[in-house]
Amino acid sequence: MIVAEQKPLSEIKEIIAPYKKILILGCGTCVKTCFAGGEDEVAVLASALRLACKKDGKEIKIEELTIERQCEDEFIRESAPAVSRSEGVLSLACGAGVQALARRFAKTPVLPGVNTTFIGVLESQGIFTEECSGCGNCRLDIFGGICPVTRCAKKLLNGPCGGSQNGKCEINPDTDCAWQLIIDRLKALGQMDNLRKYIPPKNWCTSLSGGPRKLVREDHII
Amino acid sequence: MDKKFIPKITVFHCINAFSQTSWSSVGGNKFEIKFIKLPCSSMVKDVFLLRAFEAGADGVVVLVCPEGQCRYVEGNIRAKKRVAWVQNLLDDIGIDGRRLSLSNIASGDTAAATQIIDDAVKNMAELGPNPAA
Repeated sequence: MIVAEQKPLSEIKEIIAPYKKILILGCGTCVKTCFAGGEDEVAVLASALRLACKKDGKEIKIEELTIERQCEDEFIRESAPAVSRSEGVLSLACGAGVQALARRFAKTPVLPGVNTTFIGVLESQGIFTEECSGCGNCRLDIFGGICPVTRCAKKLLNGPCGGSQNGKCEINPDTDCAWQLIIDRLKALGQMDNLRKYIPPKNWCTSLSGGPRKLVREDHII
Repeated sequence: MDKKFIPKITVFHCINAFSQTSWSSVGGNKFEIKFIKLPCSSMVKDVFLLRAFEAGADGVVVLVCPEGQCRYVEGNIRAKKRVAWVQNLLDDIGIDGRRLSLSNIASGDTAAATQIIDDAVKNMAELGPNPAA
């Protein structure tokens, strides 16, 4: 999932300051799971902003809505009536959702309410960890399903380095050494021979460093 | 401070920790109180606490079972964490997180409940009316 974190209330207050009628628009997919922008978070933020504005003597009208996904136009359309009643939309979706809204509603300012942080997993209740960098050239088959590009601080493809201690990374002792995890996993899978393969320097053209990427599926285009 | 200030207190409570029927107010006209009963304190969501302030409460008290005695194992711990979260949010809003408090209370301990609410009323006398009410 895409993991995001709600912006501090003070920053959100600044962002919405020019507007008197705003729509807080939640997204019911990734940001809901990481407690940043689902229906509950929309309700809490709306209540907090109403209280803050009333305390500051500022009049504001806040409408609340959560749609299934803000990164797909089919779902975004559902928000059109609410958007038309607002001077601005505070989106609690990831950056893709904010931009998808901006594309659909050309005349309404769309404002970010969260900071999009990474592609990750729910490690345990309330703890989210980054596990994919979206490099565009996945080799998890060789690494036993553990990504050194994302989870090794040095992004070593032919690791490990000499700094791993008791299975922990020398950069941060709270972080598991990705290469320790890879070796343990390959041992369990009986695939230790994978470590004999030389992995050449990565071609980063498929990553974001090659500019914004686009995926085209001709078979789905009419 | 305005001498006519009558604090409005909203009490969210677990029905296993506290019963409104076993409690009689000795506050007279010193404060107004509203009880909201919950099957477990874990049901007290962040937004309920905030909306109590939106509805005009000057202070909010959450009464939960003693730690280790929640019928649903960890409901009171969840409530404690949510209250701490909302206290920080109230500070960010600028209406003072001390307006919200949580207390552990054993079932039937009406003396403790009276003391907790008395303390909340005294606290409100110090903090004054909710500036966002």
